[in-house]
Amino acid sequence: MNRRKVEGFIFKNISYAAVTLTLVILFFILGRITWEAIPSLSLENIFTSESESKGFGGGLANAIVGTIILSLGSTLLATPFAVGTAIYLKKYAKKGRIVSFFSFMLDVMSGTPSIVLGIFGLLFLVYILRTVTGGFSMISGIIALAILILPVLERATEVAIDTVPHELEHASYALGANKWETIRHITIPYALNGILTGFVLSVGRAAEESAVVILTAGYSQFMPEFKIAASDKLIFGVKVYPFQDLIAALPITVYHAFEFPHMVDRSESFAAAFVLIAIVMILNALARFFVWRRRIG
Amino acid sequence: MNHRSIDDNLPHYFFIFCALITTFIAVYFIGFIFYTAAPVLFGKGLINFLTGTVWNYNDGIYGVRIFIIGTLVMTAMSLTLAVPVSVFTAIFLSEYAPQKIASAIRPFIELLVGIPSVVYGIFGLLVLENFFQYYLDPLINMFSFIPIFADLTPSRGNGVFLASSVLAIMILPTIASLSEDAMRSVPSEYREASFALGSTQWETIRKVVLPSASGGILSATILGMMRAMGETMAIVMLLGNVAHVPGSILDTGYAMTSKILNDIGYYSAMDEPRSALFAVAAVLFTMEIIFVAAARRIGGRL
Repeated sequence: MNRRKVEGFIFKNISYAAVTLTLVILFFILGRITWEAIPSLSLENIFTSESESKGFGGGLANAIVGTIILSLGSTLLATPFAVGTAIYLKKYAKKGRIVSFFSFMLDVMSGTPSIVLGIFGLLFLVYILRTVTGGFSMISGIIALAILILPVLERATEVAIDTVPHELEHASYALGANKWETIRHITIPYALNGILTGFVLSVGRAAEESAVVILTAGYSQFMPEFKIAASDKLIFGVKVYPFQDLIAALPITVYHAFEFPHMVDRSESFAAAFVLIAIVMILNALARFFVWRRRIG
Repeated sequence: MNHRSIDDNLPHYFFIFCALITTFIAVYFIGFIFYTAAPVLFGKGLINFLTGTVWNYNDGIYGVRIFIIGTLVMTAMSLTLAVPVSVFTAIFLSEYAPQKIASAIRPFIELLVGIPSVVYGIFGLLVLENFFQYYLDPLINMFSFIPIFADLTPSRGNGVFLASSVLAIMILPTIASLSEDAMRSVPSEYREASFALGSTQWETIRKVVLPSASGGILSATILGMMRAMGETMAIVMLLGNVAHVPGSILDTGYAMTSKILNDIGYYSAMDEPRSALFAVAAVLFTMEIIFVAAARRIGGRL
């Protein structure tokens, strides 16, 4: 064997080792989290809220419901702006200074460290606008998370619009349709699968966020409930639950193991982590399904 | 006709409105951070703030240098750990592995992206810390004749090394999958030409594929770096939060993000301390904006 072959052999084995290491790390992490979570992972824990289980920690239902509300709500809030911006940048705007400024702003937003967005939410939504949002509340959390995922969803929509073949749009124009008719009947239906993929991934991104949520939504041991109560601190004199009330989220339940190490059983925090990973993975699988359906459809 | 021309203009204005709102949010957000930070960031002298080593709320002295160094040391260390592994993983997936194996492995690597950062933090804290304290740290300490490998805190496992290892795992899938995309987009004619000239597969990878994909790999690395710098939850749990410049890779440190998260709860109602913490965020944000601009210059999309 000459030197060139030996070199090729060595580097080939290095790249095999690298991929093996990556997979071993993945399975070790997932396996260990599952193993640690098993003792406190029961249907009873998943379906009772923390306020109804004994002591501190225990139930997960309040956090699961909170995470679903926050991540779905923020994505729904962000969707019109994200999709509208993407359609404007891709279909209406003329290439130039303004468009490249818009897209630079979106890149800056998507690179924003979550803690910077978190303290913005804390000061602006929770402190300055407290008469409207109710301080640490579901509304504050949803608005802050919507700002976080807006660029993610916008990028996904742009990519989806790029996949629409130009021939289809030209054919639509040739038949006499105007721009809006073409966008509504050709571009959006064709790009819908890609937009849905982006939507689902954004929900996942919002669900796993912790720094923003802890600084805007706070934490509550109770299930969100619907009621209206008088409150002289808020703008209309009424506090509308659950919108202006504290809400729990799974990442914060996980974080409690660090914040209160002697009060929370480590297994309980791993159980919360397990449920959170399961939710994010189901969402990713759903996104993968949309991609797959587009490929065969 | 008239009906249709209204129909065409209305959506146009609606989409402009959406884009303006989005941009307004971005500009307002950036402006808000810098406006709140201004009294300390510019009022007390930018140079003093960046180079000062003392952070004291009672005396009103704010210097961010220790935290900047903490963040940079930790980021550099995690890139050192993550980049080789992820680039070689990408080489395997794009060059060596058969199509079927590569597409079987790829979803697993993307699973790593789906693990939330707070879970990585708790995993590092509750599972890895003991392992690092009793096994890995003493092992590295055997090289303590080189000062950066000395174990200055034998009684604890957290520190730069633990935080960077966990960060490296977090950014590994990002760098690997984006680098793989870059390598895949190198036309196969290039490889065939190189094979025809008699080079081996590794020579083709090193002299043809890697140089052509270098832009993509670089912007993937910048993305991973931004993610490492901006990470909060895992770092608060793992870096040790001791306000000094780390003396070695096993020593503790304090990152900018952890400083903000640990203190903002106590000082958000006081004007000057709050402004100081926003100034830390502004410095971090400025660093990110510079890297975004760099990544755009190189041509990578975020």
